[in-house]
Amino acid sequence: MTDDAASWHRIQFAFTVVYHYLFPQLTMGLAWFLVAWKWILLRTGDARYQEAARLWARIFGINFAVGVVTGIPMEFQFGTNWASFSQYAGGVIGQSLAMEGMFSFFFESAFIGAMVWGEKRLGPRDHFLATLGVALGSWLSGYFILVTNAFMQAPSGYAFAADGSMRLANLGDFLLNPWALIEFCHNQCAAIVTGSFAIAAVGAFYVLRGDNGTQGRLFLKWGTAVGLIASVIVAFPTGDAQAKMVARLQPTALAAMEGRFQSGPMAEITLMGQPNVQKRQLDNPIRVPGMLSFLAFGTFHRDVPGLGAFPEETWPTNIELLYYAFHVMAGLGTLFILLLGWASLQRIRGRLESSRPLLWVLMLAFPFPFIANTAGWITAELGRQPWLVYGLFRTRDGYSAAVSSGDAIFTLIGFTGLYFVLGLLYLFLVGREVMHGIGIETENL
Amino acid sequence: MVELWFAILCLMITLFVVLGGWDIGAGALHFLAAKNQEERRAIIAAIGPLWTWNEVWLVATGGVLFVAFPRVLAVAFPAYYLALFLVLWTLILRGISLEFREHIPSVLWRSFWDFVLVVANVLLAILFGAAIGNVVRGMPLRPGTPLSLPLFTDFGVRGMLGILDWYTVSIAAFTLVCLCAHGASYLSLKTEGEVYRRAKILTKWLWPGTVFMLLVASLETEYVRPELFAGMAAQPLAWAGLAAVAGGLAAIFTALRSGAEARVFWGGCVLIAGLLGTAAAGLFPVILYSTISPEYSITAYNGSSDASSLRAAGYWWPVALVLAFSYFWFIGKHYRGRVRMLPERHGTQ
Repeated sequence: MTDDAASWHRIQFAFTVVYHYLFPQLTMGLAWFLVAWKWILLRTGDARYQEAARLWARIFGINFAVGVVTGIPMEFQFGTNWASFSQYAGGVIGQSLAMEGMFSFFFESAFIGAMVWGEKRLGPRDHFLATLGVALGSWLSGYFILVTNAFMQAPSGYAFAADGSMRLANLGDFLLNPWALIEFCHNQCAAIVTGSFAIAAVGAFYVLRGDNGTQGRLFLKWGTAVGLIASVIVAFPTGDAQAKMVARLQPTALAAMEGRFQSGPMAEITLMGQPNVQKRQLDNPIRVPGMLSFLAFGTFHRDVPGLGAFPEETWPTNIELLYYAFHVMAGLGTLFILLLGWASLQRIRGRLESSRPLLWVLMLAFPFPFIANTAGWITAELGRQPWLVYGLFRTRDGYSAAVSSGDAIFTLIGFTGLYFVLGLLYLFLVGREVMHGIGIETENL
Repeated sequence: MVELWFAILCLMITLFVVLGGWDIGAGALHFLAAKNQEERRAIIAAIGPLWTWNEVWLVATGGVLFVAFPRVLAVAFPAYYLALFLVLWTLILRGISLEFREHIPSVLWRSFWDFVLVVANVLLAILFGAAIGNVVRGMPLRPGTPLSLPLFTDFGVRGMLGILDWYTVSIAAFTLVCLCAHGASYLSLKTEGEVYRRAKILTKWLWPGTVFMLLVASLETEYVRPELFAGMAAQPLAWAGLAAVAGGLAAIFTALRSGAEARVFWGGCVLIAGLLGTAAAGLFPVILYSTISPEYSITAYNGSSDASSLRAAGYWWPVALVLAFSYFWFIGKHYRGRVRMLPERHGTQ
């Protein structure tokens, strides 16, 4: 590991981006709940939504702040740690990163302060608009990042300049990359799942604690209902479309995700098993025949190539982790549908509040969508390896040659310490808001 | 096209220094201008609503540098690796000190974040100043060798260069004083009572201090990079920048005497913009100056991305600029005038 300077740059980027994305996924997930509640409040004046929106706006503010401060290093690390890649692809991926700054960050940042602190000062209508602005800005921001990622996964809209670097050939092709559109739908629904689980968990907590039933019921209703719909869409059609796209454009990634070394028709899907790359096999497999062919290509008989069909230098570099990340994501996604489906059914029958075991599960389940989202992103990024820009530019060619491993490790340790403290403060502040619950008026700055 | 993107980049940096600068300056003066919790809340409230919007100018500048001048980014960012991470970590501390502080109305909690806020803002001003100093002084660029600058060497401006030397440190000190003066002007415009009174006293000391240090910095620059002033003399835009500097100075010093704080504030904005504009015009087209040989320098021409990339960005950038200022206007109208502190609502602790 240490003999390869690129590893430290990869670990640092992976760590900082995984940590960062814990926050925006909740931001993007909660944003539309807040918009919906502010809208209902504006229309009906129902005080329950007033209190709900105030509580979650405070949590949102803490979450947003950590998302912002951990996000800024991401943009700058392209230059500091991945200079060769930046010089090679800057004319193209610089577009979406600069657009994120110019279009979404100004949008969000103008409204976030007013949304969290300015309810009185802005008045109901403008406060609703500020909330809407934050929601739109955060989703727009997500789109630009996914355009950037989509370009690395399946480049489109580019050409080569005279010096061999990339240049933008068609802004429309770049921004409307089919990969980005599908990934955006899949990812944003997954963010809503995270938000729904958080809301349902707080609702379950209040009902179990027994002192805040009105809000608890409201949160359970919104969390389980919206969460169920979003969880289903994450799996179908968006997850399905994403998998078909991977099968078509990144066949090595699909083979590694499934721990598939041999090619053949009637390809089976792997439910469980441990990939053994040394022996080129899957140990202790439990499989369903034909399902992979069907899910990837729509027919049971289609031949799905295994890793053996491709030269080894094009294999993903961490097949084991890629395999597990994919299975964790898919497995948790399935469990989410079952859990929220069961909870919704119980709620419709009026039995959710009396099903204390189910409430306990809902209360304790909120970390799992974070895990599923993270696993999904690990799948996407490890599946892209060994490429930085798929098929065109290798990861090992992309890092900053000027930066020593010692410098990279120094900053990695720095981030680890800083983010650990940041995480503690975040949990403390959000936990405190949840404990206090409603009835606190946010002061007006 | 390249010239236009050089100008856009300079405009964005200037907007960050002017807009983000008053937040940095006011934050650095937090302890000098406010002595108790109520007064400190007033300063936070003066910075609070739009500090993130102001900081986005820095982030967006990074994005535009990426798309328009990827080679500059690819050479300068690794060369200044540790210094840049210091900036990033300081930005993190500054951001959370502003955002976390208000969530718990406890004196201990708030005093802690006040301290972090002051340290982070002072450090940021110093780091940005040192960055400007490095751009003006230049760096030992050589084709084919990846550049990595040590944080410090022998603090000399010839021979083995480090990020910090006597020149970049003195530019950093100038930047700190200048941004503090700017922050004091901002506070004198946005606050009332004791904070207002102290901010006015601070402007009376800090703006003359800024001018003195500007003179010193100019003499040093003449020694460190003599051809810069010769380049400026040949640039009509640099003369316009100098005129802005003179105008800003005149506005500040006549207004300091008469006590017109709005004019001091606007004069400060014009002065800072004029200084950066003059420097940019004098440097053009060089972005990263090579101290080894001028032909190794990275300029706007040999550091830019392809014309097609620049053209594409030229379509969306103006749209985004107009939108950005429309949000600023929407929020700004709710926060016009001096901050009036409402009594604290939830005294739970």
